[in-house]
Amino acid sequence: MVQGESVPPPVSLPPLQRAMPVAEEGLATTSTDVVVVGGGVNGVGVARDFALRGLRVVLFERNDLAFGASGNSSGMIHGGVRYLSQAPHVTESSCRDSGYIQRIAPHLLFRLPFLMPIRNGAMGRIALELIDAYFRAYDDYQPLKRGEPHCRLDATDVARLEPGLAGTLLGGITFDEWGIDGARLCVLNALDAIENGARVHVHTTVETIARAPGGDGPVRYVVEARDRSTGERVCVGARVVVNATGAWSPVTASLGALPQARVRVRPGKGVHIVLDRRLSNYGILSEAIDGRQMFLMPWQNVSVIGTTDDDYYGDLDDVHATSEEVRYLVQGVARIFPSVREARAIGTYAGVRPTLYEYGRNEDALSRDHRVVDHAADGAPGVYSMIGGKLASYRMFAQELCDRVATADFEVTVPCATHTRRLPGGEGIPDATALAVEHGLTPVAARRLVYRHGGRARRILERVARTPTERDVTCPCEPVLEAEVRHVIREEMARTVYDVARRTRLGLGACGGMRCAARCGQIVAQERQLPPSEGGRMAREFVETQARARVVAMGPAQARQEALALAHLRSSLGESRDA
Amino acid sequence: MTDVVVVGAGVAATAAALSAAREHARVVLVDGGTGASSLATGAIDALPWQNAAAASDREASANGPAARSGAVDPRGRAVLDALGGYALPDRPALLLTTAGIARRADGHDAGLLNVAPLAGRRIGVVRCERPGWDAAAFAAAWGDSFVVVDATVLRYLDERVLPDGDFAARCDDAGRLGWLSERLREAVATAGGSPIAALVLPPSLGIERARAAELSARVGLPCGEALAAPGGPAGLRFERARDRALEAAGVERVRARASEVTRESDRWCVALDGGRTALADALVLATGGLIGGGIEYAPSEAMIASVLPPFARVPFRATVAIEGGSPLGMHGRPLELPGSLFGVAPESLAWPFAREAPMDRVGVLADADGRVSPGLYAAGDLVADAPRTWLHALESGARAGTNAARDAGAATSGHALATAGGAASPSRP
Repeated sequence: MVQGESVPPPVSLPPLQRAMPVAEEGLATTSTDVVVVGGGVNGVGVARDFALRGLRVVLFERNDLAFGASGNSSGMIHGGVRYLSQAPHVTESSCRDSGYIQRIAPHLLFRLPFLMPIRNGAMGRIALELIDAYFRAYDDYQPLKRGEPHCRLDATDVARLEPGLAGTLLGGITFDEWGIDGARLCVLNALDAIENGARVHVHTTVETIARAPGGDGPVRYVVEARDRSTGERVCVGARVVVNATGAWSPVTASLGALPQARVRVRPGKGVHIVLDRRLSNYGILSEAIDGRQMFLMPWQNVSVIGTTDDDYYGDLDDVHATSEEVRYLVQGVARIFPSVREARAIGTYAGVRPTLYEYGRNEDALSRDHRVVDHAADGAPGVYSMIGGKLASYRMFAQELCDRVATADFEVTVPCATHTRRLPGGEGIPDATALAVEHGLTPVAARRLVYRHGGRARRILERVARTPTERDVTCPCEPVLEAEVRHVIREEMARTVYDVARRTRLGLGACGGMRCAARCGQIVAQERQLPPSEGGRMAREFVETQARARVVAMGPAQARQEALALAHLRSSLGESRDA
Repeated sequence: MTDVVVVGAGVAATAAALSAAREHARVVLVDGGTGASSLATGAIDALPWQNAAAASDREASANGPAARSGAVDPRGRAVLDALGGYALPDRPALLLTTAGIARRADGHDAGLLNVAPLAGRRIGVVRCERPGWDAAAFAAAWGDSFVVVDATVLRYLDERVLPDGDFAARCDDAGRLGWLSERLREAVATAGGSPIAALVLPPSLGIERARAAELSARVGLPCGEALAAPGGPAGLRFERARDRALEAAGVERVRARASEVTRESDRWCVALDGGRTALADALVLATGGLIGGGIEYAPSEAMIASVLPPFARVPFRATVAIEGGSPLGMHGRPLELPGSLFGVAPESLAWPFAREAPMDRVGVLADADGRVSPGLYAAGDLVADAPRTWLHALESGARAGTNAARDAGAATSGHALATAGGAASPSRP
């Protein structure tokens, strides 16, 4: 365990020792090599890595893939410039892995140049020199991720690059990062795992992790899980169990009666605000009133403001931003970029980072490093927990774990292939403009489709060729074609309107799902052969959850839209509370 | 000099203007654009339909079959007749929504198909390549008695992507309607199974007027639209009906936005943009709620300043300022919202956090006649605590318009009394 700095941890009572239960004979209906618990980026990364090494993998996800921190991150494969002084190895490994991710999913990344303005003031010149030197050190790592070296700008250059900046500036620094859609990254990893033999169960919660009767054969553990929508039980015997449940890690550990203190995380809630358009072509760094760094960045077709970092001990299945967090962020960014005050917020999202536990430290100063916990010390050899980590270095974290487990538990020596083998859609990426002409789509729709699906966009357009009505635009904000909605339900394990939104960004635009949720619910019900009322219920649930996330950022324009969405929903779909 | 000025151009304002004109008042309607009324989906209700449905279920279990929740008063009925194009059946209507449910409604735009009288009979859902129109999904969702009917409804290729309103406009052409009715007749004739009793179509049946009755007569079956997203033909048909009715009633229309209402000597003075003013003996404000724009959400921290506001203010304001302070309120009291040092928490204002959210209730405080102060009336969604429904807008507008005309009449006869020594104006009943 990483030691706290100066404050001694509070004296705690000796933990209550519980032994991992032993499963009943014949409970496991199938057996596998590895059970992975958790469908975040760590879980799917590990599942893919094991599957590519020829091991059999079963993955359980309680909600949906990328439901937690992975799908609610800042959406960057950044090099971790923040960690350069604290932990340069984190920066180096982040940069190296960023390069690998570009290689395996070229369609999913977009260049995100950042601009760090320096205010004129007593310390301004010194600050500029220091920051310049700092980024000169960062430049050493940039080639690892095909980033441009940083630039030092004077006040005129800064004003020309981004005229919206306020205050008298001394100059600024630019540096290069890469943006990514975290949810899609998770889905692609899961797909590749499946295509290499893994089984992935979404909306399936693990209920117990027990010792297999009879001990140390190829099956050491029995994992019992329940599908949360159908109630169906799945029992799988496995030699190795990996706990990759992020902020839920202690909960998962307790399902196997493992000591929670061994997998302790410091859950840090991070809140982001989504604005309705790209306000700048640059990510802009700013400081909040308390000196914390925050940013405004163009991300896909919106802008994102982030982020907060506060200890969070609420319900992990229902994390949402509060209006005070929103105000804190907007005020912080408005100091340097005042027009965000007038910009229209169309939503917020929040996730909980599973940071390595340290007692007493400020949230920002916590390490973003990761660690593998081997539960052999707790009497459970072959059970591992993945603690910490970040989107940018998920692949390397997975590799670390798999390298160790493959030799220690399976005597498999197949080398890791996750950095060379492309993710689904990463090859043969079509030209969006040509595709638009060929299939009669708008160029925007074609571009978005190619961004999300890369080479697999063709599969979706084959659907359109077979059934021309699927050319229909289901979500006009994004836009998302009906064929894509059907594709992600059939091929990418989407089971609810929310799952479709995570995979396609349907309903996450300016209208908040008002124009597409009901239709999407119908399609989900059709594809999954559910009663149509179930589709309606999902649509209501989506719209209401999204409204909840939007309302905290509500400005005048948003309030009107909220009222209209409400009136429309009431008129055509009904409200769930009255049902 | 005008007797009554009506500010607004939606259902409530139209009802007020027509009702005041029926009282022989000279009426000017200040039209700053239409909000919620143009976005209407075609269902008309007195109470939010789910509340009404729950209430009528209770009633039905106690007293047999349910009746309509809101019997429209005679003045409201007169406005509805003047507008034309709306059906108000004795029993609640059942409308089909493209969100996949069959919902009750007190009445409906005449273009929509009411399936309540067709219970148990086979209804055809016309399949065509319109955006968001999935006949198979709808038939499955609406119930067992719905079947998909293949018919040629699109005549030109562009109709696959035309917005609902533009597509519906094509049916205003008699030739096109004739062509459509032939296609539908063919489709019904070739459809197998037991006979089809009615046809549901996408929103498509005209924007000048609803062409459902004409089409039904030609096809020989009830035909009508499903209820779709806001911004479709039903809202456009309301605008056309309003324009015709206002013209027929001789209401003068001024295209402008009102910004302030003041009292000058004993008349109401409405400041319009462009520096103009309108004077009247009585005034009806029907500028809408949050959607229409009559009430704005304007929290003190909306444009988050570099420093926090010193204290939280009530985050709503009326777009038309009324002399003597804001009369906004809810729950029958002037508006007070608890705030903290950090301003008002939007979570506490809006759906879906609070069932009775201020966003749904805030408005101008008015008595049962719609009177805010003598000679000043509010109607429609602008009124605090009132249901934000079409029929409420209609009735409150009609009430306010009638009362305003009578006040104006009294005021004018008052003038007449002063100048002509007691002779009452002959034109005032």
